[in-house]
Order: sequence, then structure tokens, then C-alpha cells
Amino acid sequence: MALSTSLESPAPVRQIANAISGWVDRLGVVWVEGQIAQLSRRPGLNTVFMTLRDTVADISISVTCPRTLFDGLNPPLVEGASVVIQAKPSFYAVRGSLSLQARDIRMMGLGELLARIERRRQLLAAEGLFSQELKRKLPFLPHTVGLVTSPGSDAERDVVENSRRRWPSVQVKVAAARMQGQHSPLEVTAALQKLDADPEIDVIVIARGGGSVEDLLPFSDEGLVRAVHKARTPVVSAIGHEADQPLLDLVADVRASTPTDAARRVVPDMAEETQRVDQARQRIRHLMAAWLDREQSGLASIRSRPAMADPRNLLDDRSDEVAQLRDRARRSVRHRLDRADDEILHHAARATALSPLATLRRGYAVVQRADGHVLASVAEVTTGDDLSVRLADGRVHATTTDIENATPLVEAEDEEADA
Amino acid sequence: MPEETAEEELSYEAAREELIAVVHKLEAGGTSLEESLALWERGEKLARTCQGWLDGARKRLDAAVDSDD
Repeated sequence: MALSTSLESPAPVRQIANAISGWVDRLGVVWVEGQIAQLSRRPGLNTVFMTLRDTVADISISVTCPRTLFDGLNPPLVEGASVVIQAKPSFYAVRGSLSLQARDIRMMGLGELLARIERRRQLLAAEGLFSQELKRKLPFLPHTVGLVTSPGSDAERDVVENSRRRWPSVQVKVAAARMQGQHSPLEVTAALQKLDADPEIDVIVIARGGGSVEDLLPFSDEGLVRAVHKARTPVVSAIGHEADQPLLDLVADVRASTPTDAARRVVPDMAEETQRVDQARQRIRHLMAAWLDREQSGLASIRSRPAMADPRNLLDDRSDEVAQLRDRARRSVRHRLDRADDEILHHAARATALSPLATLRRGYAVVQRADGHVLASVAEVTTGDDLSVRLADGRVHATTTDIENATPLVEAEDEEADA
Repeated sequence: MPEETAEEELSYEAAREELIAVVHKLEAGGTSLEESLALWERGEKLARTCQGWLDGARKRLDAAVDSDD
């Protein structure tokens, strides 16, 4: 029922107060989760006044609790305790104040606390705050290391000393924050944001020594986890011992098991690095020398090849070849000459055999007519013809006086038959 | 022996490659006397180029090694 008021007919305070009280009552009894921020229990008063703070947001609300209920709590309620309260919100008209009238208060036991963290983990995981892609690589050699820790703590000493030992010239900037208790999340977040804003700092370590589960609760605080998620600079979480795993470990870019381990991950070891550099240099020199040796021997082997090393043998081969050719030529010429000689002898022999000289020498003569025709038959000549008679050693010139037939010496039987 | 023309700047690999080719051609034979002589001279020049490169590299390597000892 909206209240209709106007400039002309304003409502009196009591009416407004009663209306508010009515609306508030409509909320009814609720279970509220939060953290006891302040607690004041004055003797003689039968109400205990408290303020309950939201676990994430910076919002709180006052709570009134009957002394009997408060005293009955076991373990007793302390500041910073996480609780779940059943209460009825009520508007105290007289002073216009609102508070939760507590009817039942449940301490958040360790089990509930861890269960709550687990739920929160799943929630944040689903939101992708822990996804692997978001993890940033730490700079190999940071200019300045930001360190969120409680000043003078072992954790601080471990991080600073180890970093300096590994890389003497490293700068470490510490941002103080309480690393325990209800104020811790807000202070750590503030310190983180201060370091994050500093451009000089290129990695931030959040370091705390070991502690109980409760001690480490602040490092599962949703506000802190979101702040780390938003941070521009890579964050290293070094909380407690190896076994501890607050949500901060999951959202940080790198999780170190201890503050000392954080120093190891953040700063390279100078001695180790220089040794690695030396090794690398030796290796490349060795490789280069080996390469040169291999090429040198390759070149040497090429130059030692006969074709290059001793061109004379190239010429020798050729001169041998020439000599051989010359010999062969000579041989073949001599051979041909010999054959020629034989041939001539042969022809000569045949010539002499065929030549009439021998016959003439045996008393025969060759008779030719004046025209040179050699006579084979008396029919070829008539008396008075001039003749030339060729004897072995000369010629006789004669004239035919008389012709006389004679019987053929041998053949011409067939001639006789037809005569 | 004709005077060397300007030393054309052959890379080590190119000189080495050509040298190998020259040697193969000489060993294969079949080249005229004149060609063989020319090939042989070319081979000598290539070998000198390769050696030059290797000596240069060796000097640079030693220089680097000596510079920091």
C-alpha cells in the first residue's frame, strides 16, 4: 500500500516510521551469513550489540542479541568469527534505526567454512577465474619484485634474502599487510593494488608462512581472489606450506610452495645463468671449429686428387698416348711397306716369268710386221713384206722372200677334221 | 698463364661446387688438351678461393676465442 503524500498533505514522521516498520516486518525471519565485525557486551545490559559484515562487500548491519543467547554460545562468539544468524529485521521507530534481532546464532565450524570455500571455488572456477589461459609468464629477470607480506615476518626474510642471494642486484619493494585475521583480505588486496599500480614492479609475490586452516582463510577470500584476477602484474602466491591450497593459489599466475620457493621462481640464479651462458658459448665455438675442420679436410682431399695435384700426369698420360699412337703408326707403316715389298717382288717375279725374255733367251724370237702386229700365222704375211725379228738381245730387220706352211705343232685337231 | 681477371667474389659454397665439377670433368677425360689445361688452371684458382674463405673463417673464430681469454 503505497503512501500518498504531497506538499500540501505531508505525512507525519510517526506515520512514515510506522510504514517503514511495516515494510521491514514483511521481510520476516531470515538466515544471514556474515562475519562479526564488532562486538560489545556491556555488563548489566541484557542485549548484546554487534555489527555483522558481509563476507565480500564492504557492507555491514547491526545486530541485537539477547544476552542469554549470546552467553549460551559454545565456542564463544569472538570478533572475526564467521557466523550464520537467524534473525528478524526490525525497525526501531523511536530512533529510526534498523537492526537484526538475532534469534539463533550458528558458529561456522571448520567443516562449514571449508564447504563454503569449496562452493566458492566452484563458483569462481565456473566464472573462469582459474582458467589456464589467463596465467601469465613471469618475467625472466624482474626489475623490481613487489612483495605483499607482514613486515618483519619470516616469509619476508625468506623471499628477500633468497632473491638477493640468487640475483644480488634485484630490487624488492614490500607492501605491508596483516596476513591473518578478518582485516587481512582487505589489507592484502589494498597492498596488492598499490604494488600493481607501480610500473616499476613487474612481478608481485604474496607470501605468508605456514598456519592453521583458519589462519589461511583470508587467502580464499573472494574479494582478494577477484583483485588478483584483475591485477595487471603477474602474481605469485606463496602461502603456507606445500600442502596448503587457498583459492589464491588457483587464481595466481604461479603457485610457489613456500616463500623461499617463490624467490627461486621469481629470480634466476646468477651463478647458474652465467654458467649456462658460458656453456652455450663453448658449444657454438666447438661446433664452428668442427665445421671448419670438416670443410678443410674436404678441400684437402679434393686438391689431392690426381687431376688437381699433379697435372703433369695429365700431360704424361697424353704423351704416353701420343707415343703409343706413334709406335702404332710406325708399326703399321712398316708393316705396309713390307707387304708392298713382297708384292713388288711377287709382281716382278711374275713379270719376269711372263716376260718373253727368258723365252727369247731359249732361242725363240718375236716377229712383227711393220705395223707392229705380232705374227702368229704365215697367212698374216706376203712375200716382200718387211719384218722385224726381236731376239733376247736386239732386233733383226728382214724382208719376206718365201712363205712355207708347216704342220701345227699341237692342237687344231678339229681344224683338220673340217679341212 | 694469362693474368687473372678481377677476382669475381665467389661464395665458398659456389667455389667448392665448381671445383668439384672441374675435377669430375678432368677425371672423366674426353676434353681437349687446351680445355684440360684451362680446366686445371680454373681448378687451382677455385681451390685458392676456398682456402681463402676457410682461412678467413678460422681467423675470425680464433679472434673471438682469443678476445676473451
